[in-house]
Amino acid sequence: MAHILEVKDLSLHYLTRFGQKIHAVTDVSFTMKQGEILGVAGESGCGKSTLVNGLMGLFIPPLYPTSGDVLVNGESLMNRSPKDIRENVLSQKVSMIPQGAFNALNPTRKIKDIAADVIAAHSGNKNINKRQIYDRLRERFDLFGMETEHILNSYPIQLTAGERQRSVIGISTLLNPKVVIADEPTSALDVTTQKVVVKMIFDLLEKNIFSTMIFITHELPLLRHVSHNIGIMYAGEFVEYGTTVQVVHDPRHPYTRALMGAMLSADSEQKNRKPTTIEGAPPSLAKKIEGCRFAERCPSARPECRLKTQGLRMVGERLVRCDYAE
Amino acid sequence: MLKLLKNLIKEPMFVIGVFLFLTTVFAGLLGPSLYTPQPRSEFGYEAPLAPRGIEVDLSKNTITHWVVHRGDTLYAKETIKKDSLGNMLNNTALAKYWIGTDNLGQDYVALLLRGLQNSLYVGLLAGVIATTIGTLVGLFAGFKGGIIDDILNMFTNLFIVIPSFVVLVLVSTSFPQGRSLTLIAVLIGFTTWPWTARSVRAQAASLRGRDHISLARINGASNLQIIFKHILPYLASYVFMVFIMQVASGILSESAISMIGLGPLGEGATSLGVILNTAKNQSAITDGLWWGIFPAAIVITVIVFALYLLNNSMEGVFNPRLRK
Repeated sequence: MAHILEVKDLSLHYLTRFGQKIHAVTDVSFTMKQGEILGVAGESGCGKSTLVNGLMGLFIPPLYPTSGDVLVNGESLMNRSPKDIRENVLSQKVSMIPQGAFNALNPTRKIKDIAADVIAAHSGNKNINKRQIYDRLRERFDLFGMETEHILNSYPIQLTAGERQRSVIGISTLLNPKVVIADEPTSALDVTTQKVVVKMIFDLLEKNIFSTMIFITHELPLLRHVSHNIGIMYAGEFVEYGTTVQVVHDPRHPYTRALMGAMLSADSEQKNRKPTTIEGAPPSLAKKIEGCRFAERCPSARPECRLKTQGLRMVGERLVRCDYAE
Repeated sequence: MLKLLKNLIKEPMFVIGVFLFLTTVFAGLLGPSLYTPQPRSEFGYEAPLAPRGIEVDLSKNTITHWVVHRGDTLYAKETIKKDSLGNMLNNTALAKYWIGTDNLGQDYVALLLRGLQNSLYVGLLAGVIATTIGTLVGLFAGFKGGIIDDILNMFTNLFIVIPSFVVLVLVSTSFPQGRSLTLIAVLIGFTTWPWTARSVRAQAASLRGRDHISLARINGASNLQIIFKHILPYLASYVFMVFIMQVASGILSESAISMIGLGPLGEGATSLGVILNTAKNQSAITDGLWWGIFPAAIVITVIVFALYLLNNSMEGVFNPRLRK
């Protein structure tokens, strides 16, 4: 058992009311070892969140799998009933830290009740005692170094944004999932709170609550600190996949380069550099795209790019989806 | 919860509404058993507060005999000398009807109390049925989306398009032998749910994409758990207000179909609408016998008005944007 998560040529599509297929994710493949942290970055609408749903086996109409396979611990998530996925996969094998902690907690229930539901739903034992559940919760929340009693007995509205996001992380990792997917856990938080949240995630990693994580964000500077490997997504495809150092410091795909150029930085030496923008918008995914998907916006595009579909190939020890990258 | 109640009590409309509604409910619940009706009159539609019977005044040595007529002349009086009739009339009672009698000479107060009780029962049962069906259909349609939503929506629209009043009339006519209050209530409940379903569906659909629903889902909550633990509590205040409106419209619908003679039928099934219907049938309206119509009409108006007041004031408190 070498890989804890194995994604093989995963393609996902949305089926609209009019029978139109939107191919949101196309041929994504990667593997993860125990203890690895993978960062996935890309602009809005590139299929990051769709990929997350696919990785959890959570296919809620209109999302459907097209082809490919996802294996967690060697166990496929495809062609399983929603009930099976709910009871045996979610929270236990794959869990997710959602974005926007501001709204992720039901305002009509106390934190402890929201968390108790998760334990009760997966305990297998229907008559599990409420007190036992609360004890387990207290034990777990104590680990986080938070004011356990205050947080557990509060309604979400009584907590600060940071406390809420940490509660969400606490709830998502209650059952020690094998793989945790963090979908922009720090978006919409201010910088100091972001730091607290990231610190908490590292804390959990250190305490071995979970060890393998996929960190999805559009903040590349954050990824540089967090992840071992980075995958850059564009229009539903991985365009570059390599180690953090390779991707951040020596990007090869034109899109990754443009993305790095568009980033703002607080470094003093970068003060005089003007951030560049990538002109245009990603292509529509409703139609089949001929040629390179980035060709329309690529600064170094050649006529051939629009005709020939690009495959992933090794460039400088990492995978790049561009025939002309060096 | 307590705070909500405090906010509600600050609202004068709410207090008035609660007062009116509770008054009618208590009158309906306890009235029929507490109030002893006046003995039945031998005259139909006796005027309110009109003295009737034979009054013996021993001090003046007179006997007054009140004669009651229906309609034009309300009563006449003749004075008869004592000696011509003797002493045997001494004990005759004097009956006064507070709001008159119906065509059969029954005390209207007792009838109204009974009618109020029955009307409230019909309204409440119809409200419960309509709210339950509407809420369940709306929740599932809104939450599930896709084909289930389409099917449930079509079903709902079908019921909206068919005029429910016509359905009520048709179904009522197919039970000519006897229609119990419960049957009428069930009929009303089953024909008025679509509006509830529509509005609940809209609310549930807007909640479906909320982050806390996704969190519950990714943590392995089943659809039923999500609907009843995460969506229904969110809509509870809304559903409650819808319920109040359904009760009000149930009472109104019942009066409406009773008014045209298709309401409850049979022993003891006197509702407010049935009182109105009888009055109409006995041409109380054309004869100017106002007490045959107005008391029942006023009671219906008061209940419905109280429910509307409640609903309006609650909306002001439950919806923070409308809060003053």
